[in-house]
Amino acid sequence: MALEPATSVTELEQEQRQVEEAQAGNLDAMRPILERYAQPLYGTVILPRLGDTASAEEVLRDTLATAVEKIRRFTWQGKSIYPWLRQIAINKVYDVHRQSKRSRRLADAMVHEVPMETDPETHADAQLMADQERASHRVRIDDARVSIAERYRQAIELRLIQELPREDCAKKLGVTIGTFDVLLFRAVRAFRKQFGERAESGESDGD
Amino acid sequence: MATDDDDILTGPVPKPEAEPTQSERMKAKTFSELVDKTLAGRTPPAMSADDRALLEVATVIRAASGNVELPAARRRSLVEDALRQAIGGTGSQVSGSAVPITRGRARRWAPWAIAGGSTLVAAAAILMLWLRVPPKMPELPTQASVPTEWKSRPTDPLFGPIARESAGDATTRIDAIFADRLDGYRGRRLARGRKP
Repeated sequence: MALEPATSVTELEQEQRQVEEAQAGNLDAMRPILERYAQPLYGTVILPRLGDTASAEEVLRDTLATAVEKIRRFTWQGKSIYPWLRQIAINKVYDVHRQSKRSRRLADAMVHEVPMETDPETHADAQLMADQERASHRVRIDDARVSIAERYRQAIELRLIQELPREDCAKKLGVTIGTFDVLLFRAVRAFRKQFGERAESGESDGD
Repeated sequence: MATDDDDILTGPVPKPEAEPTQSERMKAKTFSELVDKTLAGRTPPAMSADDRALLEVATVIRAASGNVELPAARRRSLVEDALRQAIGGTGSQVSGSAVPITRGRARRWAPWAIAGGSTLVAAAAILMLWLRVPPKMPELPTQASVPTEWKSRPTDPLFGPIARESAGDATTRIDAIFADRLDGYRGRRLARGRKP
């Protein structure tokens, strides 16, 4: 199981010490921070905006490297370093989209800012942000799924969310594997169309 | 009704009950196999642009559902790579598996140090060759004295001035020269390496 962002006061104090040590020149102190936040950055910030695991891994590595290089510029404000790392990751994702000029729709569809400020009393901003972002992605995905045909929704649910084998998916839908393949193919196409259109209309609404 | 599915990304998506064409069936099968491989963590590096675009959407759906985890080993390796990458551009210290900055600098300077050292050694060698005292040449042994009849020599002593009336008798003179030289040759052969 991947490490989760800092949730307790003790963890936050420990993180502060590690950041200060790194700022004093001991980059080794960054290792536990990077290992803790690599998964939330990858799973909730980078991959949902890129959709390509290889590019996502590259962006994650660049994000962590930039964080180490620029750690002296980070100012501790009693909150986790996670929002700072997240912002670096989002900038890197947009660099990739700008460079490759591909699937910008996908990135745009995932543009929604999670509040950067959370209750300082809880000191749970990192965990909270990751959870909020995850939930927010899910809502957007569910919104797009609602707009497509029921049969397509089922195909996506069984194959991509429950990750059942093709044979099982076909059996549950009462079709042959070949027909299920066609259903999934069309389902993803329909979802892509809906997702992009929602992002565009969201932009025009000033979202 | 069979559907025309030439424009996968921008064309209209058929209804679920619409009859697929053979071409759509093939594309759907290829895409399903790509999804299979991706779920198994073996996404092929090469695929068509349309397949890649659709696979990205599938991955976004999976990631948003929390289904995509970065394996722990891969995560550690990326963290190490990032630390190593960052150290190239900063002057701070690290230990452990990342390369310390001082060692990184030493590595950068190593080729120049080797090249500089080699140049110095070469220059010193040239200087030594130039400045060294020339070695004393061993004295050549004095040439052994050999009898006159073994040497190349003029024939004047054999005849002296040739009188005008004997000018046509060259054959006699050649015979005399031959006999004289033959004497020298015999003396050399019969000496058999003994010094004269």
